[in-house]
Formats: sequence, C-alpha cells, structure tokens
Amino acid sequence: MSTAPWSLHVLSEVLAAFTVQSPTALRDVVSRVAEAVDAEITAIVRQQGAFELCVGLEDQEKCLLAAAVAERLPVLSLGGVLLHLYWAPLDGGDVMVVGRFKEDYTLEERALLRAMGRSIQLSTQMLAALKAEQEALGAEKEAKNLAIREATIDPLTGLPNRRCLLAHLGARLAVRSEGREQLGLLFIDLDRFKHINDVYGHSTGDAYLQAVGAALAHVRDHDTFVGRLAGDEFIVIVDGTDLRLLTDLAERILKRLDQPWTIGGRVLQYSASIGVALADPGDRPQDLLDKADLAMYSIKQQAPGRHACFQPYMLDQARRKADLETEIRSALRHDEVISFFQPIISAAHGGVVGFEGLARWLHPGRGLLAPEDFIEVAEEAGLLRDLDARILHDACFRLTGWQCVQQGFSPRLSINLSAASLQDPVLIERVADTLAASGFEARNLLLEVTETSLVRDVERAQQNIVNLKKLGVKLAVDDFGTGYSSLRYLRQFSVGMLKIDRSFVSGLGLNHDDDVIVETIIRMAASLGIQVVAEGVETAGQQAILCGLGCDFLQGYLLGQPLDSPMSELLFARSERRLLQLGNDAF
Amino acid sequence: MTITAPAPDAVSSAADRWIVVGSSTNPEPELAVREALATIVDRADPKLTIIFCSPAYNLAEISRLVQATVGAGEVIGCSTAGELLRNNPMTGGLLIWALGGNGFAVTTGVGLGDPATGLRDAANTAAQCLRQLERKEHTLLFLLADGLCGDQMEVVRGAYDVSGAGVPLMGGCAGDDMALQATQQIHSGELLTHAVVAAAITSNAPMAIGIAHGWEPLSEAMLVTGSRGTTLETLDDRPALDVYLDTYAAPAEVRNDPAAFFDFAHTRPVGIARRNRTEIRYVYGADYEQRTLTIFAEVPQGAMAYLMQGNSDSVLHATSEVCALAEQALGGQPAKGFMLLECVARKSLLSKAGLLEESLRLPSVGPDATVGGFYTYGEIARTEGSGGLHNQTVVALALA
Repeated sequence: MSTAPWSLHVLSEVLAAFTVQSPTALRDVVSRVAEAVDAEITAIVRQQGAFELCVGLEDQEKCLLAAAVAERLPVLSLGGVLLHLYWAPLDGGDVMVVGRFKEDYTLEERALLRAMGRSIQLSTQMLAALKAEQEALGAEKEAKNLAIREATIDPLTGLPNRRCLLAHLGARLAVRSEGREQLGLLFIDLDRFKHINDVYGHSTGDAYLQAVGAALAHVRDHDTFVGRLAGDEFIVIVDGTDLRLLTDLAERILKRLDQPWTIGGRVLQYSASIGVALADPGDRPQDLLDKADLAMYSIKQQAPGRHACFQPYMLDQARRKADLETEIRSALRHDEVISFFQPIISAAHGGVVGFEGLARWLHPGRGLLAPEDFIEVAEEAGLLRDLDARILHDACFRLTGWQCVQQGFSPRLSINLSAASLQDPVLIERVADTLAASGFEARNLLLEVTETSLVRDVERAQQNIVNLKKLGVKLAVDDFGTGYSSLRYLRQFSVGMLKIDRSFVSGLGLNHDDDVIVETIIRMAASLGIQVVAEGVETAGQQAILCGLGCDFLQGYLLGQPLDSPMSELLFARSERRLLQLGNDAF
Repeated sequence: MTITAPAPDAVSSAADRWIVVGSSTNPEPELAVREALATIVDRADPKLTIIFCSPAYNLAEISRLVQATVGAGEVIGCSTAGELLRNNPMTGGLLIWALGGNGFAVTTGVGLGDPATGLRDAANTAAQCLRQLERKEHTLLFLLADGLCGDQMEVVRGAYDVSGAGVPLMGGCAGDDMALQATQQIHSGELLTHAVVAAAITSNAPMAIGIAHGWEPLSEAMLVTGSRGTTLETLDDRPALDVYLDTYAAPAEVRNDPAAFFDFAHTRPVGIARRNRTEIRYVYGADYEQRTLTIFAEVPQGAMAYLMQGNSDSVLHATSEVCALAEQALGGQPAKGFMLLECVARKSLLSKAGLLEESLRLPSVGPDATVGGFYTYGEIARTEGSGGLHNQTVVALALA
C-alpha cells in the first residue's frame, strides 16, 4: 500500500466508510476493509469461535481459519499458499480477521486495520443501542396503541366501545351545533338476549354478539358510525340524515338481524328492538342516547322486534317512572308499604281459614296505592325482593300480634313471592329470621309463586324450595293454568296448594271451556293430594260451581276484599267463633 | 500483468475439449444465428454457448433460436457495445463463443436485481451455480452483468461471497452500443435486464486470466477521503471534480459542459492502487454543483487513487499483450481459445486513432486458437487480492 501523509482529520473521514449504518451493511463494510488493504479474506469471529460472517473462504476452508482463530496464528497455509492474518479486536473478545495471500501487512496497514476494527465496533455498538432504543420505542408505541385500542375498541366485537361512541357522538354534535349537519342515532337492543345466555351459555351469547357486531358493521359507510354500547346494546350514529332515512335504516337492520343464524351448531333466531332519535339543538351525547334509549324501551315494552321514534312524552314518562322509583325506595325505608289481608274461605263451611297478605302503599300524597300502581317499576328497579321481605315481615308480625292468635287460634298466611325472591340466595335466612322474630309458625305460612318464576332458574329455585320445606313452609302455585302448568314441577317441588287463576273462575257457568279447565285442575290436584284455592270469586254462582266441583278454598271480593290489619283481625275473630262451632279445617 | 494460474493438468487431453467462435452480421436473426452457429452445430457435447449480440438485433429471438439449436447445452449471453474477433472489430453483429467436450463441465445461474438495491444479491444468487458444479482440477466463475444497474463492484462482491478466494472470477458488463440506456442479459433462452448471469466452468486443463490497460498515473497517489457508491466526492479532502479538472488542466468548456466533460473523461480514468497493480475506473460524468465525479464502479473510500493518463499507443499495446499474458499463465500449455473482453471506451480511443483493427491482430496468439469477445461497460477479473472490477481495461481468458 502506498504511503500518504494522513492527518487525524483525514483518517476520521476515511474511517467513516467503515461504520456500520444498518444491520444489513456489515458485510459491505467488511468487504471494504479487505479492499482497503487488498486482502482476500475477511471474517468476524465471535469470542466463542463462531463466524458472524466470512468473505473469501469456502466452507471447508473456514474450519482451518477457525482453528487458526483459536490459536491466534499469524499465518495459515491454504492450498500451499501462505495466508497472512491480522486480528483487529472488536467488542467483548470478538475479532475481525483479515487474511492476505503471500504478503504480510505493513505497520501502516496494521494501524489502519485496527482503526477500522474500532470503527466497526463503535458503529455496531451504536447500531445495537439504536436498535434496542427503537425496539423500546416500538414496544412503547405498541403498548400505547394497545392501550388506545383497549380504551376505544370493544374486544368482543371489534367495534368502537362506549367511550369511543360518546367521543364520536360529542364530536358530531359539535359539528351539528355549527348548523352543518343533522345527526341521528339508532339504539339497538337485542330481544331476549338474556335467554340466550341462560339457555345456551355465555360463550354462545358472546358468539351471537359477535355475529350481530359483524352484521351491523356492514351498514357502516362514511356517514355512519357503529359501535357496541354495552351488553346487548349497539349504537348507530348517522350523519346528514332525516327521520325517514333513519327509520329506513332501522328497518333494514331489524330485517338483517331477524334471521336464523347458526352459532355453535345451533340455529338461533332473535329479534332486536330499535329506538330512533334525532339530535335537537343543545343536545349532549348522553341526551341523544337517552332519547333513543327511551324510544327503544318503549317499543320493547309494547312490540319487541320493531322500531320506535322518540316522542317527548316518553321522556315525561321516564321521568315520572324515575321519580316513582325514588319514592318506592323511600317508602320501603320508611315503612310506608304495609300489608292488607284478603280472607281465604273454606268452601266446605264458609269460615275464614286464612289470609293472603297483599302489599299496599300508604303514599303520603296520593293515599293508599294498590300494587298495580308501583309493582312494575319496583320490579324494573330490582326492588321486588325488598318488597317481598317487607310484606312477609309486616304480615307475620301483624298476625302474631292479633289477640285471637295469641289465644291459640292461628289463621294461615299466604304471601306472594316474586321470581327474584325465589332465586335469592338469602331467602331462607330471611324467612327463618322473620319467623323466629315474629313467632309466626312456619306450618301456617304459604309462599305463593307463579309457574313462570318456578322455571326461570329451576336449580336455584329448587334449592330454596327444598330448604323452605325443611323450615316447614308450604309452597303454593299462584295463577295456575296461565303458565307452563307442568305436572312434573308440581311433583318435583312438592307443591302444597294450587291457586286457580281468576281468569278461569270468572268464566265459570258462562264458558264451557273454563268449566272444564277448572274441573280438571281440581280433580288433578285432588288425585295428587294438593289443595286448591279458587281466586277471584265474585258471584254466588261461581261459588256454587266451585263448591260443587269440590274446590277446597275460595278467595274473592264476594267473600271479602283486602282489609287492613285491624279489620282483618276483627273478621277473623268473628270467623273464629264460627269455626269453634264447626271444627277447624285444615288449610 | 499476469495472473498466476493453477498448475497444468498432466492428464488432460486436448481432444476432450473444444472451443469455437462463430459470428454473423446478417441482419436477419435466423440467418445470423445459423451463420454464427455454423462452426458449432456439428460439435459433440456442447457445454456452454455464450451469445454476444448487438442490441440492434431482437435479442429475445436470437436467444430463442440459439437455445433451440443448441438443445440441452447451457446458454447465456448479453447485449454488447460491439463484438470482437481476431482482426475483426464488429458493430451491430452477433458472436457466439462456445466450449464443449468431456474435459469441461458447466453449470449456470441467474439472479435479478434492481437499480435501487444494486446487483450484489443478484450476483450472489447467480454464483450459487458454483455449488452445483462437480469440479475438475480447474474452476472459474464467468459473469455477465447489467453494467447500468448500480455500482458494478457489487457484482464482484456478490459473486465473491460464493466463490471465495479459491475460484477466479472473470466476465464483463453488458453494453447497449453506447446508448447507456438499458442492457440485456440472456439465460436459458430468457431475456432479462438488471440481472447477473453466471457460468461456473470447470476443466481438466488450466484456465488463466490476463489483465491489461495501458494507463499510467499522472498524479501523485491521493487518498480517497469521500466516496459513496458510484460518486467520488473528495480526494485528499478536496472536491474530486476540482482535483480532476485541475490535474488535467481541463479547458473551459469541460468545466461547465457535461457533454464536453464526457468526451474529455473518456481517456482520463481514475486508478485505484492495489498491492501490485492499478485498477481502472471509468469517469463518465460530473456534478458541477456538488463538485463530484460519477464513476461506473466504486472508488472505495480509504483507498489510494491516481488520475491516470494514456494514449492510443499504450492502449493498443495493452490489447495486443493481454492474450499473451493470459497464455503465459497456463503453465506452458497452449491455449485452445481466448475470451477477450475490452472496454468500449478503449474501442473508441483506438478507433479514433485508426488502430482498432490493429489492436486485434493479436500476434502472440497461435493460429489454431480461437478468439472471441465483446466490448463491455466494465470488466471483471479477480484472481488475487481484493477488487476485481475494472474499467477501460482489457481482460482475456485463456483456456488450454
């Protein structure tokens, strides 16, 4: 190699060619090292003896070089020709090996090769650090993206989630407030989705939601934004629309969703209900959502599987309902809900044998309210268990407080038990505590449940029923004949009494079918050893037919309307004296 | 300059190897192929047929016709900037160079590159044919590459990654009759561009390479302080263009007219100092704003470089002697044939001097030896040391 007066500056300029600027450039740089000293061989050998790369040798010759590396030989004989080796140290015991046939290196070349090795080492270190930094940045970016995705995307359906929907809605409403666009919203709620989860399991429910999400994704275009709000609720936000376009879209969606879908090998067909609303000036995202939600709720109550457009009265209705719910909660806290008692009469002798405890609300402003004025709202608000507990507690205490009862004459007490209570894990504890605290005898207590509540969650209901029986409490099936009327359940739950629904009783003597149904129920119950109460007896004719058919007990306005506790006690006291003359009738 | 060749093969027989050359300037492809292959068709056991063809022909048709005639033998080739026979420099012609017989074995390969990434990977892929070759005593890798697809040195680097120091590299960069637009390569009847085609040739007789250029240093050695790919930025830390213009005392028009610069630089190459030789680089453009030189192949940063000078006589002498240099390296065995690859810039220089035909008289070549080749955009010859890519050079392959 020719000599030249190199300054340090010039040398550093030259060495710039021997920096590795990308992971794939190492081979190029190493090739240039060989070319700089006109050498045939270059290699980077790791501390452990492995070749990072090798230029100029075939595989079998690499073995010879590896042996030379291990012994740090300065010269290697290849094919009878001497290969002069120079070792430029790299990082951590790695070396760059340069081999030149026939001619050894000058001092200047050795210095240059060492400097090149150092340059490669520094640049590869920088590259590694840069790579690590980029990886860290990449990981951070990925984590950030993931966090954003998790915060904005529903993981089940891949659709925008509630947060994202509200943000988009807010942005669109802001645009609309500038007067450029009309904004509409569809609130989609799947009908009977709980049924899918209950009957087919949550994995099927999830798959169904995914299928719905995918179906809704198809309505997306540049003007629509689709997302999952929560549970089985989906939202479609539509820009630049009007009511007709919105309802058309709602109908298309309803049609698309109301198809038989095969999910997990099962064919499922469930409808959806859709609330439709247009934004009004000044609406916030939640306002528009609430309007569409109210419309959806309204149609779901009236005719599931269809759509309804928001009307202002819905909002008033909802507000009234919300107020009522608040009042019910307050009433329960302040013992405004009390028991009234409707007598149950022996068909055989006409005497009072017991009472059905019924809820009444002594409203501070509206007076005495019947259950139909507040039960529906209480149920929606999840307050039925509290209401049941309140009536059970109140009725048991009142009856045990009656003087005649204290003298040893105990009427039977029937209390309605909602489906929620029947499945309540603390039901048994609550009943036992009430009986213990009030001193009311368990054998005189009948808890009335509907056929529907029996089958809603059979396993949990059965557990409570078994435990109620252990307490000595009997089970009565209310409104018998209007629901499943399953004989299997009558046997399975050891039902002690059936209550024939008033709809059949009202038709007695007028409708042949009702006559047949009532007669059949009474005979069937008799053959199973189950007593029967006929509800809603309002005429002497009905009473006569029921007595003729062998019905055990009667209940209705003809025989006594619901009365407050003092009046009921009085009624019972009078009847008690009569019973003493006739002998007590088992109830 | 001579390249040391492996020892001659004592058991080789001249009868089991043949090398022939055919040519034609007939403008009809079918007739041209028939004429060029006339000396080959009756030969037994053709192993490698190389097409050197002017872009004036439809190369796709030429390659198809040649492949159909040769049959199972390997066929490669490329477009040229002129073809050459002994005593006969051609333009717009077709030349077929072929070898065969049991004494040779050949495998071929091809790799595709692109102007953005260059040809290193393409050359590496093409050179893999070496791994399929059942080697005899003497082996060589012959390369034909697109000379207008990035840094030509990358072709040598990519092939060297496979061949290593033990297998010499020889070849050239395809031309396009100085249009400098696009060149073509041929492999197994397929016409390609931005490609490298390779033939791994093994023989039971020696093969040797001669390299000559006839250029001498004008300047002192200078350190290449700035160079990126085909752009030579600085020499001794000064703008390369300024160093170049000042050293050659370039006239005014060369200092601001690209066309004038192109003509001027034609005979003023850059030389890269190697241990015992100088590799030539062809300067074919200047960037007057950046003050840089544009070179056909990299002048590596850190190398020592010269600005070279020469004349028609020195260039003529190099061409005349290169076959002799190659044959001398055959260890005393006579050459049966030569492949001669010469830079097109030299052709231009010799032609202007009226010495082109004389350059191909090749007095040292025996009357029975065949000679054929083409005018290239870059020459490849690597047998020792680094480098191996040359410009404005003539390289000869002698086969015993």
